[in-house]
Amino acid sequence: MARTSNGIELEGTVLECLRNATFRVELQNGHKVLAHISGKIRKNYIKILPYDRVLVELSPYDLTRGRIVFRYRS
Amino acid sequence: MVGRGEASRRPDGRMFVSIDAWHAAAFDRLAEVMLAALRRPLHTVVDETDLDLTAQWQRTGFTMRRREWEYSVPTDPGATGLDPARPPSGVTIRAFGSAEEAPLRALDRTIRDEVEAGPGWQDMPAEVLARPVFDPSRYAVAAQSGQYVGLLRVATVTRLPRIGLIAVRADRQRRGIARALLAHTLGALHVIGKERASAEVTESNMAATALFEGIGARRAGSNLELILR
Repeated sequence: MARTSNGIELEGTVLECLRNATFRVELQNGHKVLAHISGKIRKNYIKILPYDRVLVELSPYDLTRGRIVFRYRS
Repeated sequence: MVGRGEASRRPDGRMFVSIDAWHAAAFDRLAEVMLAALRRPLHTVVDETDLDLTAQWQRTGFTMRRREWEYSVPTDPGATGLDPARPPSGVTIRAFGSAEEAPLRALDRTIRDEVEAGPGWQDMPAEVLARPVFDPSRYAVAAQSGQYVGLLRVATVTRLPRIGLIAVRADRQRRGIARALLAHTLGALHVIGKERASAEVTESNMAATALFEGIGARRAGSNLELILR
């Protein structure tokens, strides 16, 4: 787990693309969260697909929610 | 931190903004500050199914400018009906990695000049905007009478190949060259085991929409480009 200026960030793997532009992501610690994609990813048209490795920023209000802030290339 | 906003200018000069906030009040506050500080027009992109985010931007005055479809494209010639072995008469397709860089650059420059002199870039999918790093392995090229006349670029950053750009010189359009490039590309992807590719098409581009839907591509999603004038 990394605690950055952006909050708590964890690596994970996308399990499923859900409706409403939401993704189910399994974090490295085994927890599963629902995550939206960040505005920066959206603006750059970066596609998120199942099995993608991603960096998730967890919500400080609800640790089952997050935001995908980075997609790794492999 | 409860939210953050970001503004960046695209190669075509337009300013795009985004806001990430954990609750609506933070979004509204960030939007208020950003929109007061930045010169209009401003643009943003939302997934059309993200109703909450779309509503938040609309609440600040943004309206829809255009819709871009994301297509999932089959590669199997049995599904697309395309025959990679039969380009239009007089046209040859140079496979990925076999195009010569200098004439490829010249064709890219010609096509970009034609777009800038004509419709402009504002309705093109985002990836087209940036001038590419030329890597011939990413391009299939159509040649006619010894001249490069059309190109198709594929990006394979992840497992799903993405058709980033199909373009044909203005004086060689409507001759089946784009279709031939697509046939070659999809056939090549099928051979290496890729069952589908992705492509983005702006809704108003009827020719591209007809091309993709005619080969069995299905709509997998859509993005809205919003504008605050």
